[in-house]
Amino acid sequence: MQANIATNKETGRSVNHAFASHFAKSMFLTVVGIAILMFIGTRMFTHIDLNLYGYMVGTIVFIGGFFYRFIAWGERPPTKIIIKKGLKLLLRKSTPKTAVNHLAIYDFIRNRGLYRWVQHILIGWGCVLACLVTFPLVFSWMYFTMEDNGYYTIVLFGMNVMHVKAEGIIAWFSYNALNIAAIMVTAGVCMALYRRLSNMQARAEQKFMYDFLPLYLLLFISITGLLLTFQNIVLHGWMQPQMSLIHQFSVIVTLIYLPFGKLAHIPFRPMSVFARNYREHYGEQQMKECKVCGDHFVSVEQSNDVIQVLGVNDMEFNMQDGFNLAELCLPCRRKYRISRFSGFATHQVKVKEANQNAKG
Amino acid sequence: MKKRLYLELENCIGCRSCLAACTQCGGHEERNRNYVYDVNPLVNRQTMPLMCLHCVNPACARSCPAQAIQIHETGAVLSALVEKCIGCQNCTIACPYGIPKFDTEQNLMYKCDLCIDRTKDGIPPMCASVCPSNTLQWLTDEEIEAKQKQFNLDNGKWVTSMPYLEGETNVKVNLPGILQGVTKLF
Repeated sequence: MQANIATNKETGRSVNHAFASHFAKSMFLTVVGIAILMFIGTRMFTHIDLNLYGYMVGTIVFIGGFFYRFIAWGERPPTKIIIKKGLKLLLRKSTPKTAVNHLAIYDFIRNRGLYRWVQHILIGWGCVLACLVTFPLVFSWMYFTMEDNGYYTIVLFGMNVMHVKAEGIIAWFSYNALNIAAIMVTAGVCMALYRRLSNMQARAEQKFMYDFLPLYLLLFISITGLLLTFQNIVLHGWMQPQMSLIHQFSVIVTLIYLPFGKLAHIPFRPMSVFARNYREHYGEQQMKECKVCGDHFVSVEQSNDVIQVLGVNDMEFNMQDGFNLAELCLPCRRKYRISRFSGFATHQVKVKEANQNAKG
Repeated sequence: MKKRLYLELENCIGCRSCLAACTQCGGHEERNRNYVYDVNPLVNRQTMPLMCLHCVNPACARSCPAQAIQIHETGAVLSALVEKCIGCQNCTIACPYGIPKFDTEQNLMYKCDLCIDRTKDGIPPMCASVCPSNTLQWLTDEEIEAKQKQFNLDNGKWVTSMPYLEGETNVKVNLPGILQGVTKLF
């Protein structure tokens, strides 16, 4: 609220005046945006799939939770800096490469282990695929009509984009996209569960609410979704309406839970691209020299930002020796601490730190 | 009974058992997260361990834009959550003791988590379990207080932790007597 009042003062009679908070503004604009897209997509609300009405309401509730969580989070001083500077640096040449690495192929997870990478690719891309199919269907941005017998027309945002054979390969992929996604997610979740149960290292760190619950939710969605197909094909639709309600319930619960649990890392993740750009850009501009050994260890910008953020938190690490602790490289900072303990200036001895990495 | 890690720095003999033990803790993926330093490497053999001191108000967590560094209910400042850490390395710059390590390949910070799977159940952390010289101990507050009384030599030189650190910490450190010219009274 305080921040909001401040912006109002700066901008005078701006559009921000109309809203009580960032939250209200973001929520209003998003819902209006969705409504406009729906209006276009459904050819003036003539093609709404009311079967999916529950998902629509669930999504709006999800957006509320999402903004609540992320606006509060964006107000933290360090987060604010990264978001502000990250947005400014978004047009760097390296952005597409970093984004693909971090958000699409998860290179850094492969370096944490092949098994975890496969599991993450399956869950991640399974979920992305499912979202790309589900949300356009829910808001009727995409639907199918049959004009000629045996041919479907795929309508995207009110435009006929494709005319496909009902028995053809593209149609088959369209019908089965969610099944494929469900199989990917189920396989990935099973791998994740197996790792959590069998690997003692992983087991040591896991908590039920944080690590297992999201997996069970994803499994619940995938299994009930696959059961729908199974009931249609094998059981001639027996209990299908009931199961579709259970499936809908599972999706809505997961959507509402998403911003508040482990799955929140999905919308957080683009920040890692911001962070990489931030380090690369300011690193090229000017590097900070360690006040003791003279090594370049971080960009001047980041060093100043961290010192400022700590200042906001009432932390000043200014030493009597005439430097801030954030101005020492890590080995020198550790040696300086030893010197504070022992009374002998360890950090002034020109010997590199050695023998610090035990082989496990 | 709540216990704390307690360091008696001058006992250290530089065996680096604590580093080796650290690699074996669940979740540490065979990499150690602590340090052992020579105090005056060209002159004598005194060494001292340097661990995360688990600040009550941790600078690393305050400077983390992703809220990846969580504080456990026992007071332990945990390692970065693997799914949240965005690799900005603010924490390494913020930490007044230079503790967090960063893996560029994995784009992930890792630091001492006080072996949280052990210490949350009152089992001492790996480093304290193996330390052969009682440099790293796992003690209750009463025991630490008794130590403090025992070692208080009335010259203000032998007190635990503050004011030699940058803030209140959950790990208690005893400053060495030997290097300050005081004989330790066992």
